[in-house]
Amino acid sequence: MAEKDEERFLAVIAAHKRLIYKVANSYCKDDEDRKDLIQEIILQLWRSFSRYDPQYQLSTWIYRIALNVAISFYRKERRKQDLHQPIPETLIYLKDDTPLDQTNVRLNYLQRFIRELKEIDRAIILLYLEGSNQQEIGQILGISTTNVSTKVSRIKQQLQQKFSKIKTL
Amino acid sequence: MKETELTALWKAYDQKLEEHLQVNRQHAADITRLKVQSALSSMKPSKIFTLFIGLIWVSLGSTVVFNLAVYAPDKVSIFFLLSAGFQLILTAIALVVYLYQLILIRQVDISEPVLAVQERLARLRSSTLQVTRILFLQLPAWTTFFWSESMFEHNHTSLLILPVAITLIFTAATPWLFFNIKYENRDKWWFRFIFSGKEWDPILQAMEMLEQLKGYQKT
Repeated sequence: MAEKDEERFLAVIAAHKRLIYKVANSYCKDDEDRKDLIQEIILQLWRSFSRYDPQYQLSTWIYRIALNVAISFYRKERRKQDLHQPIPETLIYLKDDTPLDQTNVRLNYLQRFIRELKEIDRAIILLYLEGSNQQEIGQILGISTTNVSTKVSRIKQQLQQKFSKIKTL
Repeated sequence: MKETELTALWKAYDQKLEEHLQVNRQHAADITRLKVQSALSSMKPSKIFTLFIGLIWVSLGSTVVFNLAVYAPDKVSIFFLLSAGFQLILTAIALVVYLYQLILIRQVDISEPVLAVQERLARLRSSTLQVTRILFLQLPAWTTFFWSESMFEHNHTSLLILPVAITLIFTAATPWLFFNIKYENRDKWWFRFIFSGKEWDPILQAMEMLEQLKGYQKT
């Protein structure tokens, strides 16, 4: 039974690796911090796995945990030295180590601008760009769809303004 | 940049990840088997140390004060017994509140909606201020524990003015601090002065988060 759970969990992680990576990358620029954050997200997902409520989509459940962990982790001072049993290897990583910023300057700017947003705004735009509709965003964050709509417009405007200031693009 | 460009850019990112992102299956499996320590829900050694020291202080202190009060009341000043007793009771209350808050933080269900979880965590973290408020109530006790009955019998009034004045100042400051150490006063100079230092950062950050969350709760 435990092995079956483990197999199911690993399949879920493999299927949602991009989602986990993108959340971690939006809250941690530093490689080491991101590695720790991915480990923490996967650990918390595993701890909550047995309590997963199928009334929600799996992606909704993963987003909630990943964003909650990322926001709390981001605000907490790094505590790597406090861990008694860290797993040093990277759990989710890019096979091609060519940094994204060298292959796509605009994407690098977009990621930078997203990281400059407030934590909740960051979550909103991340979900929006991922293609979640307003209802889903509202469900994940716990705010009304009207509020989502207003916030999305404002954040998009902010991003567009930031892009417009870069003459080289 | 147009909205379509923004989404196209994000799709390109997605494509890049789709092609190159790998899961280290072995290490992901390790997480399900090993007792990996969580960076978020594990308790900091400094917090355990604070609780431990507090517990020793209260246990030893109350044993000494209790024994003196019961077996040798004539050998010790009533001021010392009352001051020490008051200080120990408040420290014990603060310890219980602190421990209760740490337990509540660990029990938060992180699969609930993000704003609700962040608000609960931020409220619990910022409520550590309550512990500080309780501890500030001890201030007058630290100015009276060395008093004795003979001090009032044998000393000239002029010599009593200073210790009594200090106690009165601390007694006046205590309720003021108790009622004014709160979130709304976080920008006041005296608040920043008391709570300067790295150890207060999580509480101040929690307060900032509460402020940020206000903007999302309107419908």
